Amino acid sequence: MKKSIKGTTISDRLLLLFLITASISGIFLARDALPESGEVVIELDGQPAFTAALREDRVIRLQSSVGPVEVEIKNSRARIREAHCPNQLCVKQGWVSRGIIVCLPGKIVVFVGGRGKHKKKDLDAVTG
Amino acid sequence: MQLQDKQRVAVLSAYALVLHGFEAILPMPVPWLRAGLANIITLVALLLYDFKTAMAVTIIRVTLASMFTGTFLGPAFILSLGGGIASTVAVGLVHAAARNLFGPIGLSLIGSLFHNLAQLSLAGLLFVQRLEPILIISPFILLIGTLTGVVNGTITAVLIRQLKAEKADRAACNNEP
Repeated sequence: MKKSIKGTTISDRLLLLFLITASISGIFLARDALPESGEVVIELDGQPAFTAALREDRVIRLQSSVGPVEVEIKNSRARIREAHCPNQLCVKQGWVSRGIIVCLPGKIVVFVGGRGKHKKKDLDAVTG
Repeated sequence: MQLQDKQRVAVLSAYALVLHGFEAILPMPVPWLRAGLANIITLVALLLYDFKTAMAVTIIRVTLASMFTGTFLGPAFILSLGGGIASTVAVGLVHAAARNLFGPIGLSLIGSLFHNLAQLSLAGLLFVQRLEPILIISPFILLIGTLTGVVNGTITAVLIRQLKAEKADRAACNNEP
């Protein structure tokens, strides 16, 4: 083994170092550079009410049980801009690039990104 | 091509085929992952003989292996052939341009890199046709390729040193009387 290590040239080692650094940093860069599933799903009363692309800037206006709700999508992020619930927690949560915004009184749930896993809404198990 | 060259290609191709088949029974975490042991023979052919021998051995190995496993002209064959040709050309060019810049390990790394780049491009262009999954998986494949490249390069270095020593021994024996 010692001989084979001696047989490597400096450029061999530099190349190895470069390839390892480049591929490991690539693992992290590729995740950040790409849009995550790129979907915003709005649910009202537990039913999917609207699906939009995350990369398209737009404002969506829907009717919820507590009046109109406005969801804004901008720069691959989403927020509830306007809702008529008492404590306005959902509006205060602000911009979300990946995750969930929930408005309990209005039964509004906004899924942002998340690789579409939320589409599977089956029960895991029922205990009795 | 002379008779001796033909024999050389035949023997090297046989070695490459055996390694190619042996690799299939090695346990791997993901089924399509391969260590690329057969590329050791391509490197040995290039370093001990010439580019033509290395290319012939690679094409014969990929074609025969795909016929034996029944994937001839299928997607796996196209990926395998593309990767094999790309890596052999890349290593051959680097070796021809700068003979002493890279040792066997460096050449093995270059081969592995171009093998993977060619396969990823082919897979992206022909089969997946979407950029995102290719970009996500590329760094992982290149990292694994780098590790297997070091292993293959080390084996190649040991093998070539051994073969050269034997050749020198034989030459010394023949010259003595």
